[in-house]
Amino acid sequence: MKELKDKMSKIPKHPEKEHKLKKKHRTDEEFAYRSVLISAILGGIFYIISIFLNIEIVTIFMNIDVVWTFLDILIKVIVILLFFLFMTTSIGNYKELVGKPLNWKDLLLLFLLSIGQAILNPFVFVFTLFGLAIILIYLFVIQEM
Amino acid sequence: MKKTTFRIVISILIINITVISLFFVSKGYCETEEIDSEFGETPVIDGFIDLSSQEWNKATKVPIDLGGLPISLWVMQDDSNLYITVQFELEIDAHEHTEFFGLIISNSSSIEQEEFLDAKIIQFSNKSTNDFDYLDYNINNSVFLNDTDYNGNGAATIEGKDSTYEFSIPIKDGVGDEEDVLLDFGNSYAFNITYGDMPIYPSGIKKSTIILINIKSYTASEIPLGNITPLILCIVVFSILGILYGYYIYKIFRLKDNIERIKR
Repeated sequence: MKELKDKMSKIPKHPEKEHKLKKKHRTDEEFAYRSVLISAILGGIFYIISIFLNIEIVTIFMNIDVVWTFLDILIKVIVILLFFLFMTTSIGNYKELVGKPLNWKDLLLLFLLSIGQAILNPFVFVFTLFGLAIILIYLFVIQEM
Repeated sequence: MKKTTFRIVISILIINITVISLFFVSKGYCETEEIDSEFGETPVIDGFIDLSSQEWNKATKVPIDLGGLPISLWVMQDDSNLYITVQFELEIDAHEHTEFFGLIISNSSSIEQEEFLDAKIIQFSNKSTNDFDYLDYNINNSVFLNDTDYNGNGAATIEGKDSTYEFSIPIKDGVGDEEDVLLDFGNSYAFNITYGDMPIYPSGIKKSTIILINIKSYTASEIPLGNITPLILCIVVFSILGILYGYYIYKIFRLKDNIERIKR
């Protein structure tokens, strides 16, 4: 056993390889950090758009034609879903950087805060609920795979 | 993808489509539309809908099939008037120079012909110069007679394909008038919505349909707590989100400092 240890210590180390590995790790870290920041900024942008549309500070379409009404609902739903997606990506990467996994409590809080944005319009609420459910199932399936 | 997960996703999609279809069915047309008027801020009756001031934002908006012509009908009220606006699209050539839009008002919720005693009409004399008149008639045995005093107000615009007609009809809390139907708070009235191309009434009427408008009682103008609860909740959600977002951005910048410190 002692002989084996002696032999192993005599194996020459590859400082270049180690350096490359460290560099790769740093690049991954930088990439993850950039992803955290950019996703958070995008999430913030969609949060601001959602304030304007879902509290009805700004009304895009006042027409009651079915197509325009549907488009109005669709835009509001998409804004909330994009907010959820970007914030999930950002928080997920942030958690990875600090060495903790994204848990169901974080997801539940994000889910509730996203669906909460659609309280004023029952149509937007229902569509958002389905959209969020589909995204969560998709994330779950991806995780399983 | 696993078979079970694929099945779950497909089932959710099917449920989604079913629910969406149900919404469209509930929005479909029916024979006699019943519309609940909503309290809102007094709009300017000028034939234009000002989107920036959101003057018709609170109105009840209903799609109506006016004998093959799809129109958008908005109904709103304040403490003294009932406001009705009508919007529709017609090919530029299909607009007649002397087109009109009218509201023939029943004395009650009855749709019997003899109950329709009052007519408010916006009559164009020249559509290209947007010249129109607001007319007020009382009806006696299907004969339209000019009122001595015009009540209410009306304005309209035709811009290309789009027509907008705005009406304001007084709601008189118990004060009678022989030439006009007395609209009162808390009651329902049948309205015959008419569209025509010749300034002869009623023979100039080309399309019409009857709707029922429920005028809310005066006391209903006070905003019930139930109506503002979702708005308060929504503001609370957005406020919490804003605070959490700010804190999260702060944490991100702290993380950047930590990474740089470890690098050094």
